[in-house]
Amino acid sequence: MKTIALVGQPNCGKSTLFNQLAGYKSLSANFPGATVEYTKGQTYIGEEIAEVIDLPGTYSLSWYDDAEKETVRALFSEHIDVIVNILDASTLVRSIELTIELMSLEKPLVVALNMMDEAVRKGIYINAKKLEDILGVKVVPIVAKKGKGIKDLLEAIKTAKKPLKRCVYSKEVEKYINKLKECIEKNGLSGEWPPKLMAIKAIEGFEPCMEPLENSTCKASLNEARYALRDGLVIVQERHALCMDIFEKVAVVKKKEKKSLETILDSILLHSLFGYISMFLIFFSIFYAVFHGGVPIENLIIGIFDKIDASLTSALAHNKLILAIIRGVVDGVGAAFGIAFPYLLPFLFLISLLEDVGYLPRIGFLLDSTMHKMGLHGTSIIPFVSGYGCSVPAIMTTRILKSRKEKIISAFLASLVPCSARTTVIMGLVGYFIGYGYAILLYGINIIVIMISGMILKKLLPGISPEMALDIPPYRLPTIKTLLLKTWHKVKDFIFLAVPMLIAGSVVLTLITYYNLDGIINGVFKPFMALIGLPSSIAVVLIFGILKKELTLLMLYQALGLSSLSQIPKVLTHEQMFVFTIFVIFYIPCIATMAAIKKEVGLKATIYITAGTFVLATVLALIFKVLLYSVWI
Amino acid sequence: MKLIEGNIDKNYIVESIDGGCMAKDRLWKLGIIPGVVIKIKRRAPLKGPLMLEVNGSDVVIGRGIASRINIKEIE
Repeated sequence: MKTIALVGQPNCGKSTLFNQLAGYKSLSANFPGATVEYTKGQTYIGEEIAEVIDLPGTYSLSWYDDAEKETVRALFSEHIDVIVNILDASTLVRSIELTIELMSLEKPLVVALNMMDEAVRKGIYINAKKLEDILGVKVVPIVAKKGKGIKDLLEAIKTAKKPLKRCVYSKEVEKYINKLKECIEKNGLSGEWPPKLMAIKAIEGFEPCMEPLENSTCKASLNEARYALRDGLVIVQERHALCMDIFEKVAVVKKKEKKSLETILDSILLHSLFGYISMFLIFFSIFYAVFHGGVPIENLIIGIFDKIDASLTSALAHNKLILAIIRGVVDGVGAAFGIAFPYLLPFLFLISLLEDVGYLPRIGFLLDSTMHKMGLHGTSIIPFVSGYGCSVPAIMTTRILKSRKEKIISAFLASLVPCSARTTVIMGLVGYFIGYGYAILLYGINIIVIMISGMILKKLLPGISPEMALDIPPYRLPTIKTLLLKTWHKVKDFIFLAVPMLIAGSVVLTLITYYNLDGIINGVFKPFMALIGLPSSIAVVLIFGILKKELTLLMLYQALGLSSLSQIPKVLTHEQMFVFTIFVIFYIPCIATMAAIKKEVGLKATIYITAGTFVLATVLALIFKVLLYSVWI
Repeated sequence: MKLIEGNIDKNYIVESIDGGCMAKDRLWKLGIIPGVVIKIKRRAPLKGPLMLEVNGSDVVIGRGIASRINIKEIE
């Protein structure tokens, strides 16, 4: 079976093309030797089945973040038969730079010239045939969003050939590159890199290519080349000039006079005042729609599972242990679906919409300076925003961040953002019994605590905080199909990682009740509960919140020995409810989230993060206990 | 002059990028290469980043990076 890799710069429409080729049958899979997950799918090329891999977007073959690094490593591996390079026709000059680098890999290559329609809107008319002749690589114009040109592209993949030409620099530059290349070849230093590409990247000052040459005999040639070529700048300028030259040969630009919609939108959405107001309104509408629309659906789903529960209880009444286990499984599945369908699905859909329209990077621009105070930059806004849906996919997005410091801070802070499970506690307990104003106050407190924690972490953690440097895509109208598929990919992360955890947690929970172990747990935690001023019978609720936060509210009244939620005010005071909710928002992330954190930043950091959230929650609970008992309502 | 001192809606030529700039490779990839013409489109408030127009695309870079890029005004 042939393996086809889709490679392109960020926002070139790579995933859209992937969905057109292999959309429905795709699944996340680990690429051999790599730790990052790719989306993988299958498509038919003529009669033959081929595997299609959607690699993370990269500007070039020298990486800047982990996702880009994995793309490059995957490209070097033997497993790829054809590389499909997707170019954004509306940013052709920059896009060709990657193509030129890909040509040096000497693997069968096809160029898919995407967004031809957008280029025309910008007044750029490209002659694809001419581009093909100049590059010596088959070029297929496509509009991935509308499925145009896909057939031609598949045909081209079938007959893809290795590039005919190679990028040639001026004589003077080639002399230095070749000298270094020969030295690398002779000493066998290139590893997985093609020797010439490694020579070029080393001269340009790309660390992973320079390092193997550090203590070798090639060090002298490298230094000589770097000195003569002004640390690689000469190469970069020549390549840029070459790309400009290609662009001028293949494209005609007709300047458009009209003020574009984009300029008008940007002048509002990126405005120093209106930008922030619009941002607030956009997010407020999203949360309002998701949570107000989600409640009835959640009740419906929970209702169904309650009925299953009831019929199970009567059917299996004679065998209590089996009943306990089966009920645990059913409750776990019920909790997962009760969150995934009413809240997560619409939320992730709307976030995908913001992402694909091109709004998220613009929020990054607006909030960059705020994020800097927390040792982060604008890009880290994405895990935070996703965190309000579910922490698991939120933690997974930290992959796009560059430094380890940033990843740890983002993972920690994103786990503090109240997910939809914790939102049910905020709304159901504080909102319902004390007042919705107090619920909103809790969200405010949450944001302030996150910011202060970020500032402290920035000081505590070693390492530098890199800055934002990225391109802002134009506004685009995504198709419903792309959005739904994207949402589905994200929900799948939740289903595969979180649902098994929820089910396991639920089973353990019912077993503990079955063997009456909750009394022992409560006894052990009695002193701690007394410290934060809560009844000791709640300890078991908090322990199980770690397994599954969805159950917190449900378990709360059961643990307090009440028959329904509405009786809670009889046992808990307003102060206790408030302190309890504060604790629930911040303490230890659920197991599924911990698993996600471990995957992104490793076990040690996960332990620190977990311990950190516990300390933070305890301190906050204490502060609010003291505050509330002295000046309460 | 440094990019950070530039004015909005004005065109400049990139002269050089100071040594030790971590993001140099990324800047090159984004088209911010000595000799290229760029336009400052807007600045985010509160010492936020700068938005530039490079080769017809919008690029956002942090202030720290912008203070390491030397530019020349176009007469």
